[in-house]
Amino acid sequence: MTAYDTIVIGAGLAGLIAALRHAEQGQRVLLLAKGYGTTHWTAGCIDVLDAPETGDDPSAAIEALTVCHPTHPYASAGLANLVAALDRLRALCEAANYPLVGDLRRNVRLPTAVGALRPTCLLPAVMAAGDARQLPRAGSVHGTLVAGFRELRDFFPPLLAANLAVQGYAAQGAYLELPPTGRKRDFTSLTLARLFDQPEFRAHVGRQLRRLVKQNGYSHIALPAVLGLEHAPEVVRDLQAAAGALVFEVPTLPPSVPGIRLLRVLERAVIQAGGRLQIGAFVTQAKGRDGRLESVSTAAAARQQRHHAERFVLATGGIAGGGLRAEPSGELRETALGLPVRAPEHRAAWFSPRVFDGAGHPAFRAGVAVDRRFRPLDLADGVAYTNVVVIGAALAGVDPVREACLEGLALATAWAASDIG
Amino acid sequence: MQTVATDVLVIGGGATGVGCLRDLAIRGMRAILVEKGDLTHGTTGRYHGLLHSGGRYVVKDPQSATECARENAILRRIMPHCLEDSGGFFVTTPWDDPDYADRFLAACHATGVAAQEIPVAEALYREPALNPRLSRVIEVADGAADSFLAAHANVASAREYGASALTYHHVVELLHVDDRVVGALVEDLRSGELKRIEAAWTINAAGAWAGRVAALAGVTVTVTAGKGTMVAMNHRMVNTVINRCKMPSDGDIIVPIRTVAVIGTTDTPVPNPDVYAIEPEEITFMLEEGAKLIPGFASYRALRAWAGVRPLYQEEPRLADGLRDAENRDISRAYKLLDHERRDGVSGLISIVGGKWTTYRLMAQETVDRVAQRLGNNRPCRTHAEMLPPPADEKPPTGGDASRFFWLGKPLADVERAADYGDLICECELVTREQVQAAIDGGAANLDDIRRDVRVGMGPCQGGWCIYRTTALLFERIANAHDGDATRFAAAIRNSNAALLHFLQERWKGVQPVLWGDQLRQARLDELIYVGVLGVQRLGDLAESGDAVVTDHPAIATERLE
Ligand SMILES: Cc1cc2nc3c(=O)[nH]c(=O)nc-3n(C[C@H](O)[C@H](O)[C@H](O)COP(=O)(O)OP(=O)(O)OC[C@H]3O[C@@H](n4cnc5c(N)ncnc54)[C@H](O)[C@@H]3O)c2cc1C
Repeated sequence: MTAYDTIVIGAGLAGLIAALRHAEQGQRVLLLAKGYGTTHWTAGCIDVLDAPETGDDPSAAIEALTVCHPTHPYASAGLANLVAALDRLRALCEAANYPLVGDLRRNVRLPTAVGALRPTCLLPAVMAAGDARQLPRAGSVHGTLVAGFRELRDFFPPLLAANLAVQGYAAQGAYLELPPTGRKRDFTSLTLARLFDQPEFRAHVGRQLRRLVKQNGYSHIALPAVLGLEHAPEVVRDLQAAAGALVFEVPTLPPSVPGIRLLRVLERAVIQAGGRLQIGAFVTQAKGRDGRLESVSTAAAARQQRHHAERFVLATGGIAGGGLRAEPSGELRETALGLPVRAPEHRAAWFSPRVFDGAGHPAFRAGVAVDRRFRPLDLADGVAYTNVVVIGAALAGVDPVREACLEGLALATAWAASDIG
Repeated sequence: MQTVATDVLVIGGGATGVGCLRDLAIRGMRAILVEKGDLTHGTTGRYHGLLHSGGRYVVKDPQSATECARENAILRRIMPHCLEDSGGFFVTTPWDDPDYADRFLAACHATGVAAQEIPVAEALYREPALNPRLSRVIEVADGAADSFLAAHANVASAREYGASALTYHHVVELLHVDDRVVGALVEDLRSGELKRIEAAWTINAAGAWAGRVAALAGVTVTVTAGKGTMVAMNHRMVNTVINRCKMPSDGDIIVPIRTVAVIGTTDTPVPNPDVYAIEPEEITFMLEEGAKLIPGFASYRALRAWAGVRPLYQEEPRLADGLRDAENRDISRAYKLLDHERRDGVSGLISIVGGKWTTYRLMAQETVDRVAQRLGNNRPCRTHAEMLPPPADEKPPTGGDASRFFWLGKPLADVERAADYGDLICECELVTREQVQAAIDGGAANLDDIRRDVRVGMGPCQGGWCIYRTTALLFERIANAHDGDATRFAAAIRNSNAALLHFLQERWKGVQPVLWGDQLRQARLDELIYVGVLGVQRLGDLAESGDAVVTDHPAIATERLE
């Protein structure tokens, strides 16, 4: 039996960054997760916070939040920890030849696969040319070509282009011919990403783009975010060179190729730093004594495995990630350690009747309450375990999807919680 | 104003209305049907899906039982592609009176409902998920029925005989000449245009809304609405319809249909057929009752809940005697044919209310008999003898006679035969691009109509992927139709956005009552996709109903009380 310094539960952005940080501090780290986190589901950008009130400045919005909502997890994490975590992530991605761009003082708006413009803070460089401020407006000599493949059912160029057009941009949609692949199959974003990693495949696409650019004078080309799993910057460079226009990716429906790219960068970094990853390990039991957590058990093939550590980081996510689960009776449970969950008292108060209620749904703000050091609180506001921290979407008092802060929240709380130790 | 003349106008595109339309057309009468929403917009699209063997009514309402048994046999002949030949069990659980089974069997015998007791061990062998503590099991000829397909098939058949059906046409006025109804003024909800339909006879088949339609002729028909709630579970724990062997009550039937099993139902009076809520207690109750039939029922994943309203006709005490005249005596208590000439002195109008889906054809036959007689048409009814046409894209059956019925593996077999994997728009329900496009071309006015037609968005993910895709296909279709017309093209994208937002709101109504466990997680993942990745909530200002898309007309709005 190996005892670890730190066991991290959950392999989303929060868990991976926390594991990396601890491993880089020289600790023996084990990361346990029943599967990957929501990175496969998201746009693959780093959303920090939607900030319409501060002129799209998320850092100012976080400072305002710290004053107005002192219980918001960002208030406990503090801006400095967010900055440090973002810097670390940027450096990692840079080193992995998958650079991120963006500025904490200014959100960028990027077109989505329906053609809405969504705010984000850091984005992969391969999406940068999609910045709505740079896209040609109606009446200009240039325009944006939105191109895709009929075979990919998770990205529809005409719909995207038409919604850009009603918002005053010059945009047109077109379907490209899928380069020959040798066999008929079901094309997902991931199959296409692997094909784009092959030079001949993207050369074929590049030639088609060139023809369309020549005919119509496009300055920008939006393509589904499937431009390579391993070599995205190279793929984009090649396509730009061939087409003679700026190329950018737009996230598709899941699985999210940009999300998977980020995950792989982090996963490799954790392993390189000496951390151990065990995916497929569902934490089902926790054993503690005198306010300290001693071990957790995972369900593995036909037996239970027990893992001991000095310190535990809970990063199992919210309802989407599986860190929280609701019973039919209307009780919300934290699934790994059985920590108490703060939620509206009755199921009747969980949801708004309007699906797009601006305030979101109260159930999705449920989570584990923590003290300023991210230690979980019991229902009497006492610290439940002194050697456990809770980070990311498992935290109470935030709706990371509605507030557009999923990744920022994960990074800031992971960084803050591993500092305090 | 456009004016059309016809022999008979049918109001209501539910089972009863489309049944009447087909019958009229086959007998050679000119007929037009108007429906304010899509076909099956009313109760027919919100029912339980059971093709009754008659068993449910043998003790309480023997005449209905006999009618169901007869119609069941007819429907199996004329519309096998709309039915699943699942068979049914009536089972005595530890909570039921064990002697009821004897009464039940005797009543089946008396009413002509085929029924046979089978050993409990055999029932458990065939349906291992059933409660092992059952004491008796009686097998009947229940089935599962797809009311959407059936309605479309009836209309397709009627069209072959020259009739027409106008959906999204709302009756706003009945036309009168003295004491005679001579047609109706209808509003086309897509264009806002008013049309005059002149008809020698008008059939009011407006279900729970029949009272409102009759009121347009100054006639009082008191129809109260009885709400029934159902819950679909993401699993066919059984492949046989399971009924409790007891006096009919709430939450006592499980119908396996397509990819799900549906438990129902309840019966609560509501003041308005368009305004009702699904109470959490109803859901809890049904899951508890389900567990008596199938242990662990509540731990399966609930997909969605919905409710339909039964039209309950209330006899006018003042007129009760008049109704017992010779002609009315043979009419079952389960439904009512109201000849307003005899009843109220208003001619040209006849109302048909109540009944069941299973007996829709018989109800139509009786109604059309009456109208035909007045119009001097003496051709006999033939709706029991002629097959209904299968959908245009239907592939010929692969195997023996049994494959004429719908079976669970059929959609997959069709996809495999056509090697259509790459063209699946909805993986949960195996819906192809071609099918979605056919539904759009068939006149679907919003994504909810497409859902009813081809079942996109009905599976476990509740539209997570397919609704984005279907929105895009809808847009491409309407945009192509207006290629070159810049204004119409711009309208097409606003219409498509409206359709998307409308669908997501409608779906939210359906899933909200069952959001816990995996289905809550699914709802959150769907939110991650639609709010997080796609940002559809930002399309609000770019969304508008229009002539291609109808989402928010007051005539078809349903409200949930919260
Ligand atoms: C909860 C529940 C479960 C049921 N389960 C079963 C079952 O399992 N098996 C079974 O056999 N039966 C079942 N039934 C009964 C069956 O569903 C109904 O008897 C049948 O669907 C009624 O059809 P209908 O055409 O008469 O009415 P509807 O389907 O309600 O049709 C009436 C139509 O008229 C339209 N309309 C109304 N006003 C206007 C207007 N002014 N202008 C134009 N159109 C108008 C409405 O939009 C509506 O579509 C169930 C009923 C309920 C309530």
